[in-house]
Amino acid sequence: MRVLCVAEKPSIAKAVAGHLSGGDVQTHNTPEKYIKNYVFDYDFGRPWGKCKVTMTSVLGHLTTAEFPPEYKKWDYPPPDHLFDAPVNVVVAADKTKVADNIEKQARYANALCIWTDCDREGEHIGYEICEAARKGNRTLDIKRAKFSNIERAHIINASKNLITLDHKQVNAVASRIELDLRIGYAFTRFLTNSLRTLGGPFQNLLLSYGSCQFPTLGFVVDRYFRVRNFKPEPFWGIKVMHKREGIDVNFNWARHRLFDRAAVIILYERCLTAKTAKVTKVQEKPTKKWKPLPLTTVELQKMATRFLRMTGQQAMETAEGLYNKGFISYPRTETDRFDPGMNLRALVQKQTQSHAWGEFAQNLVDGRFQQPRQGRNDDKAHPPIHPITFAAPSVLNEQEKKIYEFVVRRFLACCSEDAKGVATDIDITYGEESFHAHGVVVLERNYLEVYVFDSSHGCQRDWNRRHYGRAHPKDSGKRLRSDRAQN
Amino acid sequence: MDLPAQIRSGLQGQGLPPPSIAWIKTAMPNRNPLPPLPALIATVKTRFLAADLTNPALFDSPAPAFPPNASNPEVREVKLTWDIPVQVLDIENLSKSKWEQVEELEAIARGEQTRGREIIRLPTGDEEDEFAVDGQATQSAINGPERPGLQGKGGSAPAATRSSTHRLVLQDCKGQRLYGLELKRIDRIGIGTLNIGEKFILKRGAILARGMLLLDPATCTILGGKVEAWQKDWVEGRLTRLREAVEADGRDAC
Repeated sequence: MRVLCVAEKPSIAKAVAGHLSGGDVQTHNTPEKYIKNYVFDYDFGRPWGKCKVTMTSVLGHLTTAEFPPEYKKWDYPPPDHLFDAPVNVVVAADKTKVADNIEKQARYANALCIWTDCDREGEHIGYEICEAARKGNRTLDIKRAKFSNIERAHIINASKNLITLDHKQVNAVASRIELDLRIGYAFTRFLTNSLRTLGGPFQNLLLSYGSCQFPTLGFVVDRYFRVRNFKPEPFWGIKVMHKREGIDVNFNWARHRLFDRAAVIILYERCLTAKTAKVTKVQEKPTKKWKPLPLTTVELQKMATRFLRMTGQQAMETAEGLYNKGFISYPRTETDRFDPGMNLRALVQKQTQSHAWGEFAQNLVDGRFQQPRQGRNDDKAHPPIHPITFAAPSVLNEQEKKIYEFVVRRFLACCSEDAKGVATDIDITYGEESFHAHGVVVLERNYLEVYVFDSSHGCQRDWNRRHYGRAHPKDSGKRLRSDRAQN
Repeated sequence: MDLPAQIRSGLQGQGLPPPSIAWIKTAMPNRNPLPPLPALIATVKTRFLAADLTNPALFDSPAPAFPPNASNPEVREVKLTWDIPVQVLDIENLSKSKWEQVEELEAIARGEQTRGREIIRLPTGDEEDEFAVDGQATQSAINGPERPGLQGKGGSAPAATRSSTHRLVLQDCKGQRLYGLELKRIDRIGIGTLNIGEKFILKRGAILARGMLLLDPATCTILGGKVEAWQKDWVEGRLTRLREAVEADGRDAC
């Protein structure tokens, strides 16, 4: 039996071929310089059994949707005709060599196995591969491998549990492509033609419309106008600070601030006239800071822009690289809950060799491990982003180090315990005005030990120093002189 | 006792300042036979609450008014020594910047708060930022009132929160005006809930500090009512007034 395997990109083809062949592999060049065909023997188990395998790949989508030439002129037909014009799906001009390679290889094969990424686009690319292969061979037995990272055992497991393509997902992408084409063409033509008649700078301008970029532009413009139109206005407030045991305790005014000077001065004067403030409530309560949720793509991008000095795009490119090298799971996921069947302890174990967080991982292994929180999202395709194996810093470049460290620390934090502390709330009345102070003493840092990416702008050291605002219940009801009050 | 006098004592019994007999006669319905007394009192009360207090015919003179020199900012504190009926001429929410209020009104005008077309602007901070008591966010309590961008989800008029502070312009029956500042929160006072022309009684003991009346539920009884024309002008002119005030502030700052 001969099987043709096709991945979504060359790096995955190479990695999968490496795992399945065990290293005993012949590499052949193809007319497309980026793509190699890897030939080896492999036993897929039932029903295919021992096979002669050729593993190759595509470079993303093979085909493109387009209008017939008579619809492509700017001046005719009018934009609305594009909504029911015919659409042709053809092999993209720059992908003919890729498609030819698949068609040719399919002639020698009995079966086709799709190894594209397990997301919607991947499903559609899988379908395009099927179509290209069928041109060479109509009798292929077609299967699909389901995988979310390229760690060896995971890949072997996927190869022994092949499934079929999900045509609902394929159709979803096909619809999306067709809508993008029709709406994009029609609105771009409409906008450009309508505005060109204004002349001036519009004379030669191309105004393109996209169903994602257009609303995004709307957000940007809205924000721009809000910032540009903003009018600063003065406001006043009353600050109360109490010094005790060398600590300055700041109390916040219940009114926060008022946009009128005279009103605040009058209220302030009444505070001063009162001379002393009275503590009306002291409450101490155990408190927690929850450990983070398992990592999704959006969260990774957000955190990378905030703490790693990387753009969302750089973060994703770097994460793709780490995924292609098998260090982390597939980085495009909306899932923020781990499947209860996953052996997370084993993944934590792999991190114990790190100099930076190995000790923390070891503590988790030794009994402090806790099941991660369950988020509300599950895309049913991929688990949350997590480390697959340990990567020594020496094998990673600077960007990869940052993303890898973030993914690992986030994962270990998820498997750890919430941080615990005691929160104290104090209310005082000063004249007729109320003020409030809130303080937290951290008792157990737990996940914070490893998760140095705190949301309060990178100054996680602050968690150690959060001793401000401590007061004792015995203060309640006593008269407390305010050291300073100012407006 | 004749009918107008009965009505007058009826109004007084409900805590209203007694109008003059002459005015009550003009406010009585022109019907024959007249409706029963409770209905008559209700009618005259409604007309009283909708009237302009500065109408000289409304009260027998001398009517209770602000003490002389009330607006003097040199006086730190005096207490009113008699009850004074007043009417609301203006209301401002001092807890919000004028610009924020302008943006809100403009958003309503653009239909962004119509159901189904709302624009929900999330605060830029992180919700899970703080230690939470028993897992509940303490954020709102710490950050104080009204984080911009979170209001206006409900639709029409933005409701005042528990910690808002309003400043009113109050007028007595002689036409004298004073600012009234909410010293303690009075729930009825809010933009969209309090009407222009609405009547208050400032009770004996109410505080006048530096020419500003300090409003407290204990010394301020809200009778209700509104002057329809004033209310209409106030609502229609609000956006323009706010814009002009912001511009004026901007010039002062330069």
